Amino acid sequence: MTLIAWREDFTIGLPDVDYEHRELVSMINALLESLGPDTGVPQIVAALGEIHARIALHFALEERDMHQLHYAAAAEHKDDHERLLDDILDIIDTVESPLDYDPEALGDRLSRWFTGHFRTHDARLHRWLVGRS
Amino acid sequence: MTANPRRWLRATFGALEAVCTRVFSPAWNPLVQLGAIGWFFYWVVAVSGVYLYVFFDTGITRAYDTVEALTHAQPWIGGVMRSLHRYASDGLVAVALVHLLREFAFARMKGKRWFGWITGLPVLMLIYVSGITGYWLVWDVLAQYVAVTTAELLDVLPLFGEPISRNFVNQVALSSRFFTLMSFIHIAAPLLLLLFMWIHIHRHAAARIQPARGLGVLVAGSLLGLAIVVPAVSQARANLDQVQATIGLDWFYLPLYPLVQQWGGATVWQLLGGMLLVLGLVPWLPRGTPAPVAKVNLLNCNGCGRCVADCPFGALSLEPRSDWQKYQAEAVVNADRCFSCGLCVGSCPTATPFRSASVFAAGIELPQLPLVTLREQLEKSCAPLAGGDRLVVFACEHAGTLGADLRRNAAVARMPCIGMLPPSFIDFVFSRRLADGVVIAGCGANSCYHRLGQRWTEQRIAGQRDPWLRARVPRERIALSWDADLGAFRKGLASLPVLRLGGRGASKPLPLPAGPRWPVPMRAIGIALLLGAMAGITGLLATSPGWRQLGQDEAVLQLSIRHATATKVECKPLTPQQMAELKPNMRRPVDCPRERWPVYLELERDGQLLYRGTHEPSGLWNDGAATVFRTFRIPAGPQSIVVRMRDSGRASGFDHVHSGTIDLEPGQNFVIEFRSGEGFTWH
Repeated sequence: MTLIAWREDFTIGLPDVDYEHRELVSMINALLESLGPDTGVPQIVAALGEIHARIALHFALEERDMHQLHYAAAAEHKDDHERLLDDILDIIDTVESPLDYDPEALGDRLSRWFTGHFRTHDARLHRWLVGRS
Repeated sequence: MTANPRRWLRATFGALEAVCTRVFSPAWNPLVQLGAIGWFFYWVVAVSGVYLYVFFDTGITRAYDTVEALTHAQPWIGGVMRSLHRYASDGLVAVALVHLLREFAFARMKGKRWFGWITGLPVLMLIYVSGITGYWLVWDVLAQYVAVTTAELLDVLPLFGEPISRNFVNQVALSSRFFTLMSFIHIAAPLLLLLFMWIHIHRHAAARIQPARGLGVLVAGSLLGLAIVVPAVSQARANLDQVQATIGLDWFYLPLYPLVQQWGGATVWQLLGGMLLVLGLVPWLPRGTPAPVAKVNLLNCNGCGRCVADCPFGALSLEPRSDWQKYQAEAVVNADRCFSCGLCVGSCPTATPFRSASVFAAGIELPQLPLVTLREQLEKSCAPLAGGDRLVVFACEHAGTLGADLRRNAAVARMPCIGMLPPSFIDFVFSRRLADGVVIAGCGANSCYHRLGQRWTEQRIAGQRDPWLRARVPRERIALSWDADLGAFRKGLASLPVLRLGGRGASKPLPLPAGPRWPVPMRAIGIALLLGAMAGITGLLATSPGWRQLGQDEAVLQLSIRHATATKVECKPLTPQQMAELKPNMRRPVDCPRERWPVYLELERDGQLLYRGTHEPSGLWNDGAATVFRTFRIPAGPQSIVVRMRDSGRASGFDHVHSGTIDLEPGQNFVIEFRSGEGFTWH
């Protein structure tokens, strides 16, 4: 399964957010690693539910900072957050039907989203913060 | 003690709010934004007051003339501004009283919510002080009545060295300085009122101080219409030598004034004191057991601040982190301000029922209703439901009894406030196929017991406030009890397409469709009728019914005396030996004890004793003047008057006697005074 690889250039410059990024990535990795081919549906659903909650919590913190800093692209950034939260719930629903569930695909999906989000929206926020300071 | 009137009041307000919701729409319902309308009236009064003050002369001789010139000589604007000033003031007191009644009816002042209630009392008092001093300034017969009665009322209190009523015995006695003082109070009191209004809402997050724009326009239009149709005008010019038999009274501000005449000032103060005491105790009567306050779970809190932003009572704050986690802040609950409404729980990003039971705890929870318990109860009560119209009702504790339509084939989950419901619970219901529809049942439209629960819920569903109800959740399967035809919703559930989440193509959530509304022409007629009625009542009660303070054939007799009597003991020189016995700083050649004789008075009319009394000299050492002020309403016409005074140490008899026959005209103010050296005089 593809895990999310943390890289230092994902750092955006907000201490709380950066700290939680790392925590979040390691927690998601741990949860994904725990999902093997033999994992029961309830465990998968619980793990995804937890990932959903933790990601939502992290996004809330990041959105608070963007709002407080009057970040111009905050709405666009938030939309990307909301897209992922929508996706995770849709994934949870597919797990309710075990035949449709593909752990590899889930790992890839999360990894792609995070990597893409770090490289685009978070990188843009980082550049904005650097320019601002 | 207070349950029955409260129940009755609640039912009355409920019925009125239902009508207003239909007529005005939920957003414009004036009954649920009384405080905001009060603020609006305040600003109208303030702005119009500034305008009036520019043209107003505070002198006693010019006040009436300048108000008359303002009203009649200025083309339109002066009269309109004066009328707006008057009617917005009346509106302010009216909405403040209805607001107080409504808060009482819905028990929104119990326990920890005492702050808004208690700080509202000085607001109410200052509204009255501001209004009453304003009436004084016009200096017409109503102002004269207000001044004389207020003085009578204040003289009961041990505030002044001598009765201030003596300032109003005749035109000569009244000074412009006193009038200037009234002007100052009339400006200072509203400023103080503004301060208390701010304190009043100080603990309310997102306090509403502006009515909905449309409603504001309607209220302003009504005020303007009233100002043009029934302009506020002065009554006859004040004349302290005469008492107007009947005056047009503003019953919004002066309902207790007739009681001063009927019962006396002391009784009215007792009544006022009793009312204030009862109102002051209401938040603690009866004393209930407060629910446990919200509790922060630091393992699920990163200090995002959503709970802080959503708390309606400012009970949450972000403080420096106290645990091992490297976040900067954490949410902290102020137990004194937390009303256990749970709105914070509904706002928490981790409050999602998709988590596993073993770790399911939101960053902030109500100990009496953890979300994991709510989810268990929900799943359990949904299990027996069957058919295509299964319903989950998320209901607020203040939503009242649910109708039969909502209880059939339904699982009901109760919570302290509907704002406690995390939107993901609605998603969860459909995701797990627990039901076919969800009803969110709260208080009446825009009248949330915990202030913001309904507003936040609507905004979360519409994607205007975090956390959003996800766009994938079919809005047609959700109904708000305060804005939907629940019967039609229930019937329609079974005929909806098969429930399917996801793949909707919309990333932004949509608000729920608006509930049924009356057709626009009907609403327009309803609004016109309701606002017209309110404006009509305001215009009517601002001057009528007239108050008859004096019978047609009556006159007023006033006894107004200020007299420094002789000292009880005459001065006598001290001998050198007596002086030597005194302390050096107390030595004096003459000893003059300062205590004076009291004044004993009798007043007879046509041989009948009208008054008899002894009045001690003022001052700590009884060395000041004795003052007497009494008012009598007597029949007009010819009559003999005898007034006698004893102001020496004699045991019987009188030192001063004055008698004569007078012929009083109806409404005449006849004053008996005493001047040292001249004796009694009357005019």
